[in-house]
Amino acid sequence: MSRDEDAADKGFAQFEKFLDEWSRRDFLKRSGGAAAYMAFAGGVMEFLQACAGNGNSNNTTAAKKGGHVVEGNFSDIRTLNSMLSSDTASNQVIGLMFDGLTNQKKDGTVIPALAESWKTSSDGLTYTFKLRSGLKFSDGQPITADDVKFTYALAYDPAYKDFASPRRGDLSKYVASIDTPDAQTVVLKTTQVYAPFLAAHGQYGILPKHVLGSMDAKTLNTAAYNTAPTVTNGPFKFVSWEKGQQVTMARNDNYWAGPPYLDQWIYKVLPDSVAVTNQLKTGEIDIGPIDPGQFDALTGVSTVVRTEFPVPTFTFYAYQLDPAKPAGPLFQDKAVRQALLYALDRQSMIQAIYFGHGQVANSPEPPTSWAYKAKPQVLYTFDKAKAASMLDAAGWAKGPDGIRAKNGQKLKFSMITNAGNKQRESLLTVMQQAWHDIGVEATPSLIQFPQLVSQIVDIRTFDVFLVGFNWSVDPDESALFHSRNTAPGGFNGFDFKNDQVDSILDQAIGTLDQTKRKQLYGQFQDIMSDVVPAPILFFNTGIWGVNSRVQNTDFGPFNQYQFRPWLKNVWVTDGK
Amino acid sequence: MLAKYVARRFLASILVVLGVTAITLALMKTTSGSYVPGIDLNPSLRPEDIARLRADLGLDRPGWEWYATWIWGVLHGDFGHSMIDGSTVWSHVADRLPNTIELTGTAILIGVLIAIPVGVIGALRHGTKTDHTMTVVSVAGFAVPQFWMGLILILIFSVTLEQHGLPWLPSSGAYSAVNGGDFFDRLEHLILPATVLSFFYISTWSRFIRSSMLEVLSQDYIRTARAKGMSERRVVYLHGLRNALIPLITLIGLELPGLVSGGLVVEVVFGWPGIGKLAFERALQYDYTTVMGVTFFATLLVIAGNLLADVLYGVLDPRIRYG
Amino acid sequence: MIGPSRVAELEMPGAAVETAAGRPAQSYWNESWERLRHNPIGMMAGVLILIFALIAILAPAFSAVITHFQPQSIDLSATFRPPGATHLIGTDELGRDTLTRLIWGGRVTLGVAFLTVGIALTVGTATGMAAGYYGGWIDDLLMRFVDTVLAIPAIFLFILMSILIHPTPITLAAIIASVGWGSVARLVRGEVLSVKQRDFILATRSIGARDFRMMFRHLLPNVLPVLIVAASLGVGQIILIEAALDFLGLGIQPPTPSWGNMLTNAESYFYHSAWLVYFPGIMIFVTVLASNVFGNAIRDAFDPRLKT
Repeated sequence: MSRDEDAADKGFAQFEKFLDEWSRRDFLKRSGGAAAYMAFAGGVMEFLQACAGNGNSNNTTAAKKGGHVVEGNFSDIRTLNSMLSSDTASNQVIGLMFDGLTNQKKDGTVIPALAESWKTSSDGLTYTFKLRSGLKFSDGQPITADDVKFTYALAYDPAYKDFASPRRGDLSKYVASIDTPDAQTVVLKTTQVYAPFLAAHGQYGILPKHVLGSMDAKTLNTAAYNTAPTVTNGPFKFVSWEKGQQVTMARNDNYWAGPPYLDQWIYKVLPDSVAVTNQLKTGEIDIGPIDPGQFDALTGVSTVVRTEFPVPTFTFYAYQLDPAKPAGPLFQDKAVRQALLYALDRQSMIQAIYFGHGQVANSPEPPTSWAYKAKPQVLYTFDKAKAASMLDAAGWAKGPDGIRAKNGQKLKFSMITNAGNKQRESLLTVMQQAWHDIGVEATPSLIQFPQLVSQIVDIRTFDVFLVGFNWSVDPDESALFHSRNTAPGGFNGFDFKNDQVDSILDQAIGTLDQTKRKQLYGQFQDIMSDVVPAPILFFNTGIWGVNSRVQNTDFGPFNQYQFRPWLKNVWVTDGK
Repeated sequence: MLAKYVARRFLASILVVLGVTAITLALMKTTSGSYVPGIDLNPSLRPEDIARLRADLGLDRPGWEWYATWIWGVLHGDFGHSMIDGSTVWSHVADRLPNTIELTGTAILIGVLIAIPVGVIGALRHGTKTDHTMTVVSVAGFAVPQFWMGLILILIFSVTLEQHGLPWLPSSGAYSAVNGGDFFDRLEHLILPATVLSFFYISTWSRFIRSSMLEVLSQDYIRTARAKGMSERRVVYLHGLRNALIPLITLIGLELPGLVSGGLVVEVVFGWPGIGKLAFERALQYDYTTVMGVTFFATLLVIAGNLLADVLYGVLDPRIRYG
Repeated sequence: MIGPSRVAELEMPGAAVETAAGRPAQSYWNESWERLRHNPIGMMAGVLILIFALIAILAPAFSAVITHFQPQSIDLSATFRPPGATHLIGTDELGRDTLTRLIWGGRVTLGVAFLTVGIALTVGTATGMAAGYYGGWIDDLLMRFVDTVLAIPAIFLFILMSILIHPTPITLAAIIASVGWGSVARLVRGEVLSVKQRDFILATRSIGARDFRMMFRHLLPNVLPVLIVAASLGVGQIILIEAALDFLGLGIQPPTPSWGNMLTNAESYFYHSAWLVYFPGIMIFVTVLASNVFGNAIRDAFDPRLKT
């Protein structure tokens, strides 16, 4: 039961209790009546608020104009150019200032933004977008199909090949051409049917050609616009970036959906998760992501409303599957991989390390996905005895030192993760203990994040690594599990090569038929649950804290950092 | 002869700057492996994107070549662009260095204002219980890790005060997010981090002033002044303190090298947008250009501080010859 | 009578002077020890450090006999227990006994501190003495090298070396010492320079004593007081540096406990389990305080201006 439902239950219980009291009260006692009314009003408000989760989602009747919202997060931005950014912080702030062709609802459904509608051709290769009429940039210039074409060209057009876009790989592979038959229409042709295309590439903030069009690729890389966008098209426009401190944004009166209620939105850089808690309490920030360990610290703080929901972020560990590497031979046998997973009491781990804020993963697909299969072929509930017997059956007998060995090789390996992440450190410690109990010696080792990335992507001398990852709304998981990504630079650093999985993944992105895709991903999840090359431990929950004066925020699994179609409706009760 | 010494040191300083920046680059290249700055574990990044980024940033070029290009740029005043965010390194340094100086400067001020009375009292009452107590108290402030002190102060003066409806101090940043930036706003944000930073100075300097005072007060001219019938107060403050403080100037000057790394922990704890925090974050992210730029300036400060110290030592103690 | 032994007596500054009151002449070291003895707070601080060091060395015995827990054994069913009967100072986020970890953490923290001081003093003294004694181009070369090392912002060195050499207690000591030896070298060189000019040294040199004998037997004892003070103050400083590195994620890595990383780890649990923060914090505070107080007490004791 989510915390929202919990709160709703409490609210309702209080309301019921009040009604009981009221009927017993002497209706004619004036003071009692007044008090009763106040209590009634309070109870109703709390009930409504609890139900809606975070203030009424569509309460715009009483909306006040003016005021500001301060939002806190841990990293400073790197760039404010939508075609250059690849990190969360930059994407988050870009999302406040730029809209793309499409946006996303909190459940992941793609919704119109700058494009009011789009059609997909029957062969799945052509997307025709129709832009809304009267679209304007923040400087009053019209947004036309040319701007859209220009934006995408930066990443796929060979003329801009010196522009350092991290999207070039994907876009140049899948975009065949972009045409603009008229100012409101964009015709995008893909090179092959690619199902994730719309969800993955339809939302880039559209850049102003009239500002950037005259620059060549090299100049664009270091243009002042990238860190001080003079012209934007989203709910807010850029005011200033004080490096290391904050980005200040102001209302964009030319926003297509109408100007927002707020005057200002500020993105503030904070030191750590404790600072988020402290500053939510003092009111220095209005919105911030809450660490699971800090959740309870905000209980009873009446000015902060917490929402929590499952998200497609997860933690997983991967076995070294390359037989040429030292630990490779240990994990070739499926029985070993499965047994090690059976030995982990993941529910306790969530309870102890994430304080209950998470969900044991039975599948690589997140529970939020439309492709999720709740009960795949093999389910790994905690079973220490089974793990031990599976290892025995596989020929790994306990030696005199208590560690299992087979053919002279001990079941002994090291596990790496990045330093500075307390939860991952604790996870490794718990896993070490759990595996020690069944005669496996696993040693944790913490390294800096860049070294971890290098290990996964390139060097690959690890035995086991543990890291977090984040899926987007499309269920395609080729990035981690397709064999082509075992090439240096890819994220399939554990050398997983399975022809069946490859073929399923390729088929699934090659069709736009959702039913067919769902069936394919069902197969995918069954196979993955059997071969477990990189077991997913659990999926996290997203927890956000919002000051009670801020109305109409609507955070959800896919409306966290980047996609927030409700921004223009946000208002503050004190108008400040 | 002093001029010759300074000239020799200047030439040596250039070598030191080259040495330091070269060592920093070497260490970064050795430890970075194949990491490309700014790459997170982002599933939408393809291997070819990562490879192209590496080539664009010049990471495949041999270290000495990259270094030579960098030095050439520096000689023209061009410190390059950050590999993470594309802004010029100079803009980063210019934005943050004043913040650090503001923080460290205030901490030094607080340090001086408190260290002097503590040191003087300790000297005047030396050997007594008061002296020992003052010693313990003055060093107590620096006996806790700075990050802990910072977090406790935030808890008390920010969160707890606010929760009780009392006037409270902000817990991060150099100024308020909204309508901030005026003098009092900045002062409010400065109090907590500068206080934490000042404990180090208080504990070091109060001891120094104490022993300096003791040394001065035992001098012949002090005895003469007393014999001449001057009031004790004049003796202590006019003659004693004034002379005891001269070496303090040297000590303050010696803090110049610590400008970058000294306030780092405090900057991180309080989210202070200073150059120490910048250096730390960018070093971990392998933003070569920014790190090299900050190293360059930091080294200059260290050299200046050392030179100042050595010159002043020479001035103060004529027995040390500079041949 | 000027004989070899008499010359030796003359070497000690401020020594062997018969006072007017007819007190027996004491050597410098004895005098200093007397002064120290009369500083009760200073002595207490010294004893305290000794006790902590002893407990740290005997850590395995303690966990076997007193607490009955291992520092790494987790118990997910007993997390965040407040101080009580089984767990004298409670448990942490993974159910590990805090007292045991505190003792073993002390072993790590104090071990790093003493080892670092040892390395820094050895290397720094050797360099400083050589530079100060020989002078000339040797001095220039060594000091320029010291300057270079000292000029690298310490934090870069820590970060980069932390990555290069995975930080275990021993490697961490080496890393911190690699930054600290420079100031020792300068300190020693300064002392050597001022001592070098004194008459008795010139006298001894004129008799033709060899270099090494000069440095070891005559210069070193004069430099020793400064070194002892530096050592004592250094222990406290290193403990704080280690804690700061833990905070930044560059120091001793979990699950190995050290006072610094126990403190850092516990910060976010302060709201409900404050004891996890207080105990390592108090240990650091008391130890650093003791090291500072003791260091200052020694410095006062060695200062011949303060005649008791």
